[in-house]
Amino acid sequence: MTVTIGHEDIAALCTGSVFLATGGGGDPYVSRILVEQALKAYGPVTLTRLKDVPDDAHVVAIGEVGAPTISLEQLPIGTECLESVDRYEEWTGKRITHLVSFEVGGANSVIPLIAAAAKKIALIDGDGMARALPEAQMMTFAIEGVRPSPAVAVDYAGGAVYFDTATTELYERQVRNVAMAMGGMIFTAEHPMRGDVAKRAIVPGTISFALELGRVIEANRGSADAIEAPLAELFAGSGYGVLKKLYTGKIVDIERRVVGGFDVGEAVLESVGNAAPPMKLTIKNEFLVAKVGDRVVASVPDLVTMVDHETSQPINSERIHYGQRVTVFGIGCPAHFRTDKALAVVGPRAFGFDFDYQSIEKL
Amino acid sequence: MRIGIDVGGTHTDAVVIANGDVIASTKVLTSANVRDGVVAALDAVMAECDISGDDIEAVMIGTTQFTNAVVERRSLHETAIIRVALPSGEMVPPMCDWPDDIADALGRHVYMIHGGRTYDGFPIAPLDEDEIDRVIDDLAAKDIGLVAIAAVFSPSDPAQEHYVAKRLAERLPAARVTLSHSIGRMGLLERENAALLNASLLPLADRVVASFGDALAARDIRCPFYLSQNDGTLMSKEFAAEFPALTFASGPTNSLRGASLLTDLADAIVVDIGGTTSDVGVLAGGFPRQSNVAIEVGGVRTNFRMPDILAIGLGGGSLVRDDGESIGPQSVGYRLVEEGLVFGGNTLTATDIAVGSGAADIGSVAKVADLDGELVRTATNTMHRMVDNAIDRMKSSREPVPVVLVGGGAVLMSQPLRTASVVHRPEHAGVANAIGAANAQIGAESERIVSYRQEPREQVLAAMQAALKDKLVAEGAAPDSLRLADVEETAISYLAEASTRVRVKMVGDLDFDGAGK
Repeated sequence: MTVTIGHEDIAALCTGSVFLATGGGGDPYVSRILVEQALKAYGPVTLTRLKDVPDDAHVVAIGEVGAPTISLEQLPIGTECLESVDRYEEWTGKRITHLVSFEVGGANSVIPLIAAAAKKIALIDGDGMARALPEAQMMTFAIEGVRPSPAVAVDYAGGAVYFDTATTELYERQVRNVAMAMGGMIFTAEHPMRGDVAKRAIVPGTISFALELGRVIEANRGSADAIEAPLAELFAGSGYGVLKKLYTGKIVDIERRVVGGFDVGEAVLESVGNAAPPMKLTIKNEFLVAKVGDRVVASVPDLVTMVDHETSQPINSERIHYGQRVTVFGIGCPAHFRTDKALAVVGPRAFGFDFDYQSIEKL
Repeated sequence: MRIGIDVGGTHTDAVVIANGDVIASTKVLTSANVRDGVVAALDAVMAECDISGDDIEAVMIGTTQFTNAVVERRSLHETAIIRVALPSGEMVPPMCDWPDDIADALGRHVYMIHGGRTYDGFPIAPLDEDEIDRVIDDLAAKDIGLVAIAAVFSPSDPAQEHYVAKRLAERLPAARVTLSHSIGRMGLLERENAALLNASLLPLADRVVASFGDALAARDIRCPFYLSQNDGTLMSKEFAAEFPALTFASGPTNSLRGASLLTDLADAIVVDIGGTTSDVGVLAGGFPRQSNVAIEVGGVRTNFRMPDILAIGLGGGSLVRDDGESIGPQSVGYRLVEEGLVFGGNTLTATDIAVGSGAADIGSVAKVADLDGELVRTATNTMHRMVDNAIDRMKSSREPVPVVLVGGGAVLMSQPLRTASVVHRPEHAGVANAIGAANAQIGAESERIVSYRQEPREQVLAAMQAALKDKLVAEGAAPDSLRLADVEETAISYLAEASTRVRVKMVGDLDFDGAGK
């Protein structure tokens, strides 16, 4: 099924993408305004199914890299992603036939729509994370061996930095430093790949899924108990694993500090009437591990996401405060993240935990 | 002694405080011109305790006039915004997300010019003198006299906002200007919104502040008067006339502060039960706990510091259904005195339950004598459970906390509350707002994004505190009463260079020496 996204769909797409951001991703408010304007001006975008991408297609990933908090003060121009596409084509002399989003979690779910609408370049229904994760080497493109460069980073001043870098680990260091030098946020075009490679390196269907997810959440505004069944049904019919309601309780402690440029911390929940031991959520920008008592009930790369118990609206980790009544869902990650090669980069040990990944289906 | 006045949309309340005690209080109707209602309230309290204008050292006023103006889109004036940010933000212009009716009321006079700074102080673009001239030419041609100016990262470095204001003043000396850094925090869209709303309210602020002055002068009160602002501290009348938007949340704030003063509690939950809703707020260190989310005023996103208030649909007029299992959120509201059973009406309300259970003596007890005892017990339990759940959501620790009940609907709570270590029902709870206003302190806060590796933390905090001390003394605080109220540090994620958002707040007592009497 092909899906067309218009300006009137962006609110739902943002809601779905915050759910899939598993606590990270930042507030998509400014991106939402930009994308709604672009789609009003240029018309809706019809997503291209991954299986319809020709093998010789030239696919490039685009999105923003940096600190969402800062971009709420220094707003983007709004045309940076268009500029990144132009600069990439000028520099490489190649024409981009298809665009793809880095990550469906947060603002990067909607930003590529601006370029797709304005440049009339096909946008693939899929992304490189199926969620949000903190670093570039955690994208499925990198895991599948796609080189990060040639890559272009465009800044607020209309300038660009061009990368010729062998590995995504090195690219992550470089691009992070460029972002810091250029006001805290840049827009990149990177990880070019042929269509045949894209078919294994991209998680398919995630953008249209985020939209559908947002619609389900909006249509079921109300208690998280009531939304569990429609959500479980939606995820069951997707490329994700099963959805489980892990916990309903109240935030009784939230602690955050910064380690190595990331928000690191822990949230503690208590169940209503103390029916179960407390839940602990470990945070590194995103929710990484959920434990009930000492038992792990979900861990990366499976998704751990928190919603307000009364309204079912997904909650970013920076918005958690004492006393909120929340429900925590766990969702199995797509097959792309379940291989040994992927788990070496996105599994619990890659984040410093001393246990191996066990899928939510087995926990 | 001091007088506290609360000018609401419906009622104007006043109290006289002497040595910390309420010695007179009144509640009169608010007048259309504000002045007459204040005069009537002054006459009532001054007669009650037999004092003259010379006895009064200070008058503190809380008002919802400016909030109501924004919500009702009245008394707003055509106002321009100059955003200093290009090329950044070009596609997200000022007011692009405003409701049409209020954007139209302000006239959509939007100007974007080059300038602003990055988070670490680097210029985004140089200011362009010709561009500034063209904006001023256009403002002059359109005869727009109210202007908001917002530059990127102005809370860290306000120089460009000052510069554009100076250029404007040279050409249009009569123009009134609000600089965004002086009113809002980080977050450009929300801050420029705040500056715009504030600038559009300046003519109304002149009128309201002048009517307060007229009312006091009419009763020979010559001491200084102050207005209370969102965070529970006071501002001088001159400052209030420049920053009317800082009163937007003063109503709930004064109610919380009043509850604190009536009970001598610094840390407590305050439940203000009205006719339709109960507002649950948190007192922390004697001041309201602030909300962390963007708050809309009349549909416009702002980032004012507002008290964190949880409103639930329980009040004296709430409808009781399902044999008492379900109460509210529908309410007969102000029609309670016609529709409630105890007033001879036909609608079963929360007030009828309170009277039926013997907890309250309102209207005719005989009208509810036949109510089913089981229904009354169930409904009473439901009301207490609703309040308990709301308190539980708001309190900041697991332990039961002191709870203060204020507002006309406080009689609904007759049983112990599970979440409360103790329940206070202070005398004068009906005029808590005016009492909160009368006792407000003076405060100031500032915010910066810094890298502690480049500038030591102690140095940053000392510089911020020194600037705040100067500001507070200039506004009338006693220098020896100044204290650090809050230091909030938020790390900015994703950046390897450890950047921190620091917010410092200081408060102090008003210096009454030489003021008034």
